[in-house]
Amino acid sequence: MDIAIAGAGLCGRLLGWQLLRAGHRVTLYDRDAAGAASAGYIAAAMLAPFSEAVSVGPEVLEPGLAAQQQWADWLQVLAADSGVEVPFERNGSVLVAHGSDRSELHWFYRRLQVMAALQPGHSEWLDRQRLAALEPDLQEFAEGVLLPREGWLDNRALYRALRLAIDALGGVWRCGETISSVEPGLVRSGAAGAGQGSAQHFELVLDCRGFGARDQLANFRGVRGEVLRVRAPEVRLSRPVRLMHPRYQLYVVPRAEQVYVIGATEIESESLGPVTVRSTLELLSALYAINRGFAEAEVLEARAHCRPAFADNLPRIVQGDRLLRVNGLYRHGFLLAPALVQSVLSLLDGGVTCAPVKFEHCNQSAGAARPLEVKA
Amino acid sequence: MSDSWSAYGVTLHSRFLLGTALYPSPQVMQAAVQASGAEIVTVALRRQSPAAGGGRSIWEFIRGLGKILLPNTAGCHSAKEAVTLAQMSREIFQTNWIKLEVIGDDYNLQPDPFELLSAAQQLVAEGFAVFPYCTDDLVLCQRLLDVGCEVLMPWGAPIGTGKGLLNPYALQTLRARLPAVPLIVDAGLGLPSHACAAMELGCSGVLLNTAVAKAADPVAMARGFRLGVEAGRAAWLAGAMPERQTAAPSTPVVGTPFWQQ
Repeated sequence: MDIAIAGAGLCGRLLGWQLLRAGHRVTLYDRDAAGAASAGYIAAAMLAPFSEAVSVGPEVLEPGLAAQQQWADWLQVLAADSGVEVPFERNGSVLVAHGSDRSELHWFYRRLQVMAALQPGHSEWLDRQRLAALEPDLQEFAEGVLLPREGWLDNRALYRALRLAIDALGGVWRCGETISSVEPGLVRSGAAGAGQGSAQHFELVLDCRGFGARDQLANFRGVRGEVLRVRAPEVRLSRPVRLMHPRYQLYVVPRAEQVYVIGATEIESESLGPVTVRSTLELLSALYAINRGFAEAEVLEARAHCRPAFADNLPRIVQGDRLLRVNGLYRHGFLLAPALVQSVLSLLDGGVTCAPVKFEHCNQSAGAARPLEVKA
Repeated sequence: MSDSWSAYGVTLHSRFLLGTALYPSPQVMQAAVQASGAEIVTVALRRQSPAAGGGRSIWEFIRGLGKILLPNTAGCHSAKEAVTLAQMSREIFQTNWIKLEVIGDDYNLQPDPFELLSAAQQLVAEGFAVFPYCTDDLVLCQRLLDVGCEVLMPWGAPIGTGKGLLNPYALQTLRARLPAVPLIVDAGLGLPSHACAAMELGCSGVLLNTAVAKAADPVAMARGFRLGVEAGRAAWLAGAMPERQTAAPSTPVVGTPFWQQ
């Protein structure tokens, strides 16, 4: 099949790679092949099914655990296709809280016991000694929680690897063009400011533009997130650290060479403007509270984007004629992209979506998944 | 039995006002608001880049509830900030109602009474219907009424603490001294029993957000609070029996042999 993918962010490039491997012809549209303007590119890329289940609901727990295995399998194949080994760690994450927010940590732990009751070894309460043994640079904290089955992957290395794999498999890139519309069986695009642009027809179009597809989707919104990257030679954390805070959960996720990603604010706004002073203060105070050694860190980046989300904050595939709109990963890009990608592949095979991905036809409310009828 | 109350000339029946922030998703928020029976919902816009319409999608979800909107100035730290935000919210939501919050202490989110009074005065002069989030100080409340507020929203405890009524005496004093003023206990409630206690004291209603939004099941908790508010209101209207220091049997003791008494 001749397939176009509008938007080569996380979902678009994963689908492009998988569809090329399945023998389809794939054309990817994006402003830049690096994907630097996509929400997944600035994300911390935590794989935290337990923490997220407590924060947003139990629906993400099982799919999130399945995702970890899927990533392990995918990254092995991707290394062969692209020649890039994407850093991927599953050595757990740690939750801590400062003095007056300790009740948040206890609350979180209690909720986790109920929610993850069927998952053996999902968590461990840490006293000061045990915490210091795991993460010596968290000595400020008297207690914490270890979630041994959580992890992270290096999203930017992944983007690079997927680009190389798509090239190697013969995928076509239409970069440097602005998409003016994504319609049944066609994509209109052109140079920025060139009006309607030219239309190109396909047997199937996958609209993976994330927040960029806002005007085509009902009950859809952007949720602003702000993320910093710092280099901190004085601090060594070997796993993601989540700091409980009465208003947000802020996390610090390690990357190679003592770079850390700090995120993320969560604001019900669709502003794509630069990071605000208030958010910077909040993120940096969290960082400084975790370890004073962060005071001398270099701020490498401060970026904002909008997470694409439906009303229930769960991903969804909306089917039209020769068109699938694949969207709504919200703050679970890396946790739920495997389920979303597998759902698209399953629909193309005449199957159904997998949980928690919802399915609906255009102009129809959400219902049970139905087989995809692609008109050639 | 009709048991309505009114705020700025609008007759209301529900005494439970609910906030729209912090829910797991907009869908859960919508279901919780419906379960609460609230007629008034609050909406925050301070951090949403309101001037650029940044929150327009979430505002649509909130408008879709069909409730009376009470925009708030949460996140403002001075009268000037709060007045500017109130003016913006009047344009965005087409309402002159404003829940006025001016924070004096960032960690406790404690109201700044001085900036609050100054902002209330300015906003009333500009034609706003001001619902001031205030401490439970009688003199401050009296001053807020003096500058033209017609509703008071004293706190039960600091925002988001869920501690319940920290100073029932102060709320009783407000009720006794300002009997005609709608008193809405705003902030600090964690359980339906807290809401019930506020209503038993004769408060006109309660406003909360975190206790419902952060419950494991926000929709069920919204219903719990609705029932708590109704129970407390019924108790206030019914008039409680007097408290006694010693037990008094509810079964008449006349005729019972004295050695069994």
